[in-house]
Amino acid sequence: MSGLQTDARQSTGPLLEITDLKTHFATERGLVRAVDGVTFTLERGKALGVVGESGSGKTVLSRTIMGLLTARGVELSGSVRFAGQEILGLKAKEMRHIWGREMAMIFQDPMSSLNPLMKIGRQIVEPLQIHLDMPSDDAKATAVRLMKDVRIPEAERRLEQYPHELSGGMRQRIMIAIALACGPTMLFADEPTTALDVTVQAQILDLIGEQRRDRNMSVILVTHDLGVVAGHTDEIAVMYGGRLVEKAPTKTLFANMKMPYTKSLLRSIPKLDEPSHTRLATIPGRPPDLVNPPKGCRFAPRCAYARDRCHEEEPVLEVAEHPEHVYRCFYPVGSAEFEERDEQVKAELAREAAAVRAAADQAAADSAHGDVPLAAQLMHGKDI
Amino acid sequence: MTIALDDTLTTSDEPEQPPAAAKKVRSRRQIGFWFGVSWLVLLAVHAFFAEWIPWVRGEQEVPRVAGPDGELIRASGYRFGPGLDFWFGSDALGKDLFARCIYAARLALTVSIVSIGGALIIGGTLGMLAGYFKGWIDRVISVLVDALLAFPAIVIAALVIGRFDSLQASDIEFLGFGFDWLSRRWSVTIIFLFLSIAPVARIVRAQTLSLSEREYVLAARSLGARTPRILVREILPNLVPAMVAVIFTGVAILLAAEGGLAFIGYSVKPPEASWGLMISENRTRIDDAWWATVFPALMLFLTVLAFNLVGDRVAKRFDIRETSL
Amino acid sequence: MRYVSQRLLQFFVVFIVVTFIVMVATRIGSADPVRDLAGGAVSDQQIARVLNDYPYLDQSLFLQYPQWLLDFVTGNLGYSYTQSQSGLAMFQQRLPPTLFMGFWAIVIGLAIAVPVGVYSAYKRDGAFDRGASYTSFAFISMPPLVIAVALLFLVVTRTSLFPTVGGSSYIAPWDSPWGHFRNFFIPSLALGLGLAAVWSRFLRADMNLTLQSDFIMLAKAKGVSPARVLWRHALRSSVLSLITSVALQVSALIGGAVVVEQFFGPRGIGDRLVFAIQQNDILIIQAITAVLVVGVVLANLIVDLLYAVVDPRIRHARKLG
Repeated sequence: MSGLQTDARQSTGPLLEITDLKTHFATERGLVRAVDGVTFTLERGKALGVVGESGSGKTVLSRTIMGLLTARGVELSGSVRFAGQEILGLKAKEMRHIWGREMAMIFQDPMSSLNPLMKIGRQIVEPLQIHLDMPSDDAKATAVRLMKDVRIPEAERRLEQYPHELSGGMRQRIMIAIALACGPTMLFADEPTTALDVTVQAQILDLIGEQRRDRNMSVILVTHDLGVVAGHTDEIAVMYGGRLVEKAPTKTLFANMKMPYTKSLLRSIPKLDEPSHTRLATIPGRPPDLVNPPKGCRFAPRCAYARDRCHEEEPVLEVAEHPEHVYRCFYPVGSAEFEERDEQVKAELAREAAAVRAAADQAAADSAHGDVPLAAQLMHGKDI
Repeated sequence: MTIALDDTLTTSDEPEQPPAAAKKVRSRRQIGFWFGVSWLVLLAVHAFFAEWIPWVRGEQEVPRVAGPDGELIRASGYRFGPGLDFWFGSDALGKDLFARCIYAARLALTVSIVSIGGALIIGGTLGMLAGYFKGWIDRVISVLVDALLAFPAIVIAALVIGRFDSLQASDIEFLGFGFDWLSRRWSVTIIFLFLSIAPVARIVRAQTLSLSEREYVLAARSLGARTPRILVREILPNLVPAMVAVIFTGVAILLAAEGGLAFIGYSVKPPEASWGLMISENRTRIDDAWWATVFPALMLFLTVLAFNLVGDRVAKRFDIRETSL
Repeated sequence: MRYVSQRLLQFFVVFIVVTFIVMVATRIGSADPVRDLAGGAVSDQQIARVLNDYPYLDQSLFLQYPQWLLDFVTGNLGYSYTQSQSGLAMFQQRLPPTLFMGFWAIVIGLAIAVPVGVYSAYKRDGAFDRGASYTSFAFISMPPLVIAVALLFLVVTRTSLFPTVGGSSYIAPWDSPWGHFRNFFIPSLALGLGLAAVWSRFLRADMNLTLQSDFIMLAKAKGVSPARVLWRHALRSSVLSLITSVALQVSALIGGAVVVEQFFGPRGIGDRLVFAIQQNDILIIQAITAVLVVGVVLANLIVDLLYAVVDPRIRHARKLG
């Protein structure tokens, strides 16, 4: 049955080895280098967080590894070894035995990712019947067990319901149940919580973590939010402009991040201990054009710490104090050059924060007079 | 299509066509477009200058040609098939089918283009007003379009044209004018015009609606430009592509309708020439005189196809969707 | 339920508008509808008979309409004085051929459109897709009249299977299946090919959209085979749009039937309508148009119901509404 000669569950060595992986899209504008030479390995049972902005290539990376990008105009190169077996470039026909059975994926939007016209039961049972040839009664029982595993109350009744009858959080749990159905060794979670309420987000992440430990499954968690990966991964890889720019064990990264880009990502997360009107630091500018990426460091045009060299020459991956910590920067956080600039940056941020606070106070005073701000009116349309 | 550097790229399975394939598709579309344009130009020149073109005989002319023994004979009784003398063959009365097909094209093109032109003026104005001001015109148009969708226009057209015949024959006067002028030609044009108003209005309305939300219109309005000025200076010029698409697709539909109407006997009457009428007159002789049926049908098909090809290209180019027509 | 009543109201308005327009149209240029109805130059006796049966005919249009409407809904479908036949008898004789023709045309249309549309979407931009796209574009540009000529020239005259032009007549399938096929195949095909062209393009476009949606990606990621993704996951959601398109084509189908019945036969309701228009048989014209509009409206209502069967979301929303 399996397209793999070795069973992923028994092989030794890292579960996933990615070497110089490139995913390029041929378009009318030119070649879009969505993933441009990414290398890393992932041990079994470990969780890796892949973090980056929209357009950094993180979603394309996960879909490339899983082999879901097979359309015309997609050029793949490099190597993806899964359980010691090369799987990059396998045909969809060969990958089908891996999909769902060895590798599974949880998508971002549980609203659109479940088939709206199919009962939930059928959607969970489908992979069980396809891969494990389960008779329908067994499959149903397994589906109920899976739904209980992901803490869906009244599982039997849900089997007969359609996705639109469930809340977003419940749907995401269903997606997890579908992904876990055949006991995969590798789970991709592509922004699994972005579409959910904050309170539900933590539950879903805990659920994924718990299932990972129970099943000794490897997880790649793709997100734009460093906060999401902080407590739920063993390692973090930061992507920018199709490249891996920093990778380290989670604790090391948060304790000692090297890339100014990673630092900016961290600054853009709200913190509980700051006053309520503190402005979140946004990263100025747009992600790089992947058709014509900048000549030097890809982040240089948006980097407050960039110097001439950064615009001319692209840094290679350096190893930091911790041997598993790599980064791609000439003037990393903590270097003398960085500190020199940091004074200015911090002062700038403080000035902006003060201005924003003042504006917010003014707005609060205005709304006390009963005016509805124009922006709010626009957002509510003609109902106001 | 440009690539937005966000997740729209990364979530679509089939992001873009490779450039070579895209170019091929474009050039193939071009072939269709240029075929359409050439056919229409050729046909229009023949149709509207038929009298001055030496190889087009008269509509009612019964030519005499050299027979097998060298003497001049008439071509009556479907005597000649397609050949050098009669490109499309001859018909029962010995008339030249090629010439009749050309005169039929003149009829079909005039009727369709005049109707669509009129419908565009009336329906376009209504649609623009409805799209800009919304309100009751909107509702009237949508009821009329629904009604048209619920009932085949060819039946209404046949019905009204039949009644127009009696109106022409009667001595009824309206505002002191009689109805002697109301020939079949006019009847068909008038009813086509009326039937086209609501669908044209609907398309123009949809376009106006989206245009009036555009930033430059909002900007003009915020600068204090008055409504008539906005409609004429900002919205009307931007409606032109939609109107061009409407003209071509609308004419294609009306040509087909004229064919059907003529076939059931409600376009021009014999001996005038119309494609549908020729098919109706000659189809029982398809066994021995296939040309008299096949060529008019072919002309109808190619002309409708040409208008559709051009209209489709314009609509695709400017991203205009036909909600109905 | 509010949804259903809204739709009903909309259909009712359409019915009123169409039937009223038709009534007005039948009276254009006519000094004396009663005389028209009795068949032109006729005796006072005959006119008296018409007026006795339909006393409202010499009143103003606005007074006539409600009385006609009352007649129609109470089952008085008019009378043809020139043919000495009641509207009801006329429908019994003329409706079945048209219904069969329309039914077979839809069957043929779907039988071609579904496989072609699905396969085109599956092998997008492949040779088959391109070929199908050109072919369907050509067929969309062929009015039923042109398709009829093509079938006549290419099929009917080259085989001895089918009746010659204008020779198709009504044979019920339960009387003689073969006879039914001989008489109905060509006319139904003339209508069905055009429908197939419209629907296959429609289905292809909709499937292309569906195939890009996230739930298709998920199905793929589950390891579902392409055939299953196509037929079980994608087609089901595209069927909804196809159903709408089927309903939208019903009125075009009637228009086509008017032409095709004249061309090949069998002589059904479309043929009778043209004859009634020639004869100025205004009560029959009104009855036929009204029945046809009801038919189109019913088709749309059925689509609305089917929608709910196929799409649980709509079932759900309507229950709430």
